[in-house]
Amino acid sequence: MTEEIISGSNVISLLLLAQEEALSLIKDTSKSVEELKLLLMGSKSDLARLTKQISRVPKEERQQVGVIVSQVKQSIEQGLEARAASHPGQKTKNTTFLDITMPGERPPNGNLHLVTQAIMEITRIFERIGFTRVRHPEVDWDWYPFESLNMPTNHPARDEWETFFLEYPGKPGKDPHKQKMVLTPHTSNGQVREMEKGELPIRMINIAKCYRRQIDVSHTPMFHQFEGLYVDRNVSIGNLKGVFDHFVKQFFGASRVTRLRPFHFQFTEPSFEVDINCGICLGTSKLEDGSTCKLCKAGWLELGGAGMVHPVVLRNGGIDPDVYSGFAFGWGIERTSMMKSGTKLDDIRLLYSNDVRFLQQF
Amino acid sequence: MYLKTKATPQEIKEYLSLCGPSIERIYGEGNECVYDIEITGNRPDAMSVMGVAREAATILPRFGIAATLVGDPYREKVVFPKSKNELKLTLATDATLNPRWMSLIFDNVTVKASPTWLTKYLELAGMRSLNNVVDITNFLMRAYGQPAHVFDYDAIEGHKMTLRASKKGEKLQTLDGKSHTLPGNDIVIEDKHGKLIDLCGIMGGENSSVTERTKRVILFLQTYSPSHIRKTSMALGHRTEAAALFEKGLDTELVKPVFYRGMELMMELTGGKPASTLIDLYPKPHKAVTVSVPLSKIYSYIGTISLKEIKETLASLGFRVQSSTKAITVVVPSYRRDVSIDVDVIEEIARVYGYQNIPSRLPEHAPPTTMPDPVLSHEEALKIRLRDWGYTELITYSMVSKELMEKFGHDTNNAYKIANPLSSEWEYMRPDLFMSMVPVLRENLKLTKSLKVFELSMVYRFRPNNLPEETPTLIVVWSGNKFLEAKGLAETIFSLFGIPFPHDLANEAKQPFDWYSQHRLSLSEFGSLGTLDYQMLQKNGITTPLTRLVIDFGKLVARANAKKSYTPVPKYPPIMEDLSFIVPDNFYIGPLMEALRAAHPLVFDVTLLDVHENTRTFHITYQDEKRNLTNADITPIRTKLISLAESKFGVSLKSR
Repeated sequence: MTEEIISGSNVISLLLLAQEEALSLIKDTSKSVEELKLLLMGSKSDLARLTKQISRVPKEERQQVGVIVSQVKQSIEQGLEARAASHPGQKTKNTTFLDITMPGERPPNGNLHLVTQAIMEITRIFERIGFTRVRHPEVDWDWYPFESLNMPTNHPARDEWETFFLEYPGKPGKDPHKQKMVLTPHTSNGQVREMEKGELPIRMINIAKCYRRQIDVSHTPMFHQFEGLYVDRNVSIGNLKGVFDHFVKQFFGASRVTRLRPFHFQFTEPSFEVDINCGICLGTSKLEDGSTCKLCKAGWLELGGAGMVHPVVLRNGGIDPDVYSGFAFGWGIERTSMMKSGTKLDDIRLLYSNDVRFLQQF
Repeated sequence: MYLKTKATPQEIKEYLSLCGPSIERIYGEGNECVYDIEITGNRPDAMSVMGVAREAATILPRFGIAATLVGDPYREKVVFPKSKNELKLTLATDATLNPRWMSLIFDNVTVKASPTWLTKYLELAGMRSLNNVVDITNFLMRAYGQPAHVFDYDAIEGHKMTLRASKKGEKLQTLDGKSHTLPGNDIVIEDKHGKLIDLCGIMGGENSSVTERTKRVILFLQTYSPSHIRKTSMALGHRTEAAALFEKGLDTELVKPVFYRGMELMMELTGGKPASTLIDLYPKPHKAVTVSVPLSKIYSYIGTISLKEIKETLASLGFRVQSSTKAITVVVPSYRRDVSIDVDVIEEIARVYGYQNIPSRLPEHAPPTTMPDPVLSHEEALKIRLRDWGYTELITYSMVSKELMEKFGHDTNNAYKIANPLSSEWEYMRPDLFMSMVPVLRENLKLTKSLKVFELSMVYRFRPNNLPEETPTLIVVWSGNKFLEAKGLAETIFSLFGIPFPHDLANEAKQPFDWYSQHRLSLSEFGSLGTLDYQMLQKNGITTPLTRLVIDFGKLVARANAKKSYTPVPKYPPIMEDLSFIVPDNFYIGPLMEALRAAHPLVFDVTLLDVHENTRTFHITYQDEKRNLTNADITPIRTKLISLAESKFGVSLKSR
């Protein structure tokens, strides 16, 4: 007997109807999941019956029907699983052994460089008090990191920076501020650059790479600094301390302390050295094995310089020092990050070894 | 010797560090206590035992510890003995180069070892004792911060000394035996015949130095133009303690009392007798500087502080103070040449008052409205995503070696070259980020075979006669052949930035394809991706295949389109089906998928479900937002898709 030909669309609508009925039946909690499974997916189920009819569908429509069959099957299975999950007492038949002591399947796990993590954290801390992160050039005219900061050519203060100079790419023009290029040895080049934007007041955090000609356990020729600049009317030394306290409390926590000492920078007056007690030896300068701590200087580490912006610098940035005052500070990201309790990193050069075994620890 | 106090060394260290010069370390030698002190460059007046004692005498009482300065040279009575005129010396100088010059000739000098107290003093201070005459000069420098020098009177031909600026190329041998060819405009002294006998402010000439046989000595104290000393000392690379002091600008008023002390020591320790008139060339005596500071400014910087306290503090530092209701006016002591404007005076008040006594408070004013830089926020967001997708971030040095520049075909003439590199490893600012990563990849691949790393840092693009264009660049590197992973990451990144994936097959050939193997893809002006050329890797010591993605991050942000417009969520269910095609060898599937997607408005999406040999199975979603689709709707579309694929792309439907 030749089987009757059925149209594909007919089978499809029957399948969709069966799906609809099955899904509403699954909601009937009087039946167990086992019973439902037999009823809806067993050999006598509507689904099984309709699946058998595929052979009677014209060839060119069979694929389409097949797709619907698998969709319906899948949706019934999902319905049953959901039902089983919501009624855990009623087990599905296919429960298999699962070794729950096997390691879990974890999401991918990458790592941000320690310096990036610190930058993000520092950015957030200053954002909370209205300081916006900016970035100024790493390669700059000598004017910005030196002359505009009250350090003329050949000024002895320039010695402190161990500056890398660049060979001029061509011939210098006439602009007196564009005669020499340096790798910025500090982020303070951002001070006058920020003032030149012409907006007041200023609350800036400039974070950038810096470069100095030195390498040892606490120096790398490339490093990062964050430079804070606040310019407004009546800015006080107390404001500078307030901002440091905010930062130090949030970044280092309670076990670390800071102090301000008088210092000298050409571009701030008064100038301060901001110190924090060493995180390796905790201010004792001795390690547990009795050896001398090789990171710090008598238990204190210099976080970096700070001070009230020098009137010459304000003037170079087009700001009247009789109306406005401000403070600025520039601290090393690496140092600051290493001083954070727990890191216990005793050689800054490790940060730029880029050994992934090191980087993946953070 | 100069400070009378009961303060312990630890107290001195702590309190001075808080309010004045920073005491770095204290170490004992016998009964002596040596302080290692950092004096900032603006305070040459404190670069001596006396200078530090002066600071201590001001600061310690602030902490309730009595301290008195003893033997302050500015208060000592200086009466020189009546001049004799036995030995003649003819002098000429230039007041611009040399504001003050004091000299006296001693006869009957016996050059011999110094007494124990002096030898020990110098040794504790880190200097070597040579003989009594030279030791006196070193003592004066360390005790008072005023360098001194001695000449052998008989070694100066014609007993004539002329101080002048040098000419370029003049030669001189200093008493350490080193020969110098002068850069020009250095301060020098010549004798009657024009022979140079002193490299002023830096080191004396060998030919005029005091030896064991010297009998007649010229004691010589001066001050110089700081910038000249600085220039010469830096140019010759001859850094002496004297030069370090002179280049900071010394007090002309200090010369006389120190000279007097030197004279006393010469007479006492060498038996020398003054045998000439006292020479003191000082044409423009110091005029005291007066600075006025508005009280409002003091209060603005420091906060609440009484006028009495302000005046007492300044007076203890040697300032003479007058006050009105609105301002104070101070006369600056001659040794405080660093104080010239109002904020300098405020610093003096504040530091002695004690920074620890100024209450801390956050700024009271409203913060400004500042628009954040989108590059920075996008960088941060993408870095976080890359981390969460399993990549490890590298930060490499921005400087690369000449060797790497050349290996990667970069023009070293049109690049930013460091004039004073620390090592040949770091000589050029990189024009390309990958170069920096190569050595890091090589080292890491020695330890692991599996890498998934990225760096998002600046490259420094050359611009003639200008600063480089600093462009943030993203490079991701995978170990192994991960072409599709690289492409998938690129697709996701472009999608995040709302930029259509920029792959342009037509322009493929025009793109610079540095260092890729055949499996590569141009991302138009944004960058490229692909597996790296094996030979290039081998040349760089890498034997593991690598896949790389490069994106110009600056361009990505510049073109970013953050707008996401709303498309209504479909109310009617989609219909999905899978179609398998047999494709010819070396078939590009991308254009086929694009064509299928564009073939009919009801084709909602076409994705690749499976690849098996020459079979490609696509998952096709049909959707109409207005109604339920029926098989009757789908059939003609399907027919269209199949005929399009077969006729335009030369593939054939598998199930037929």
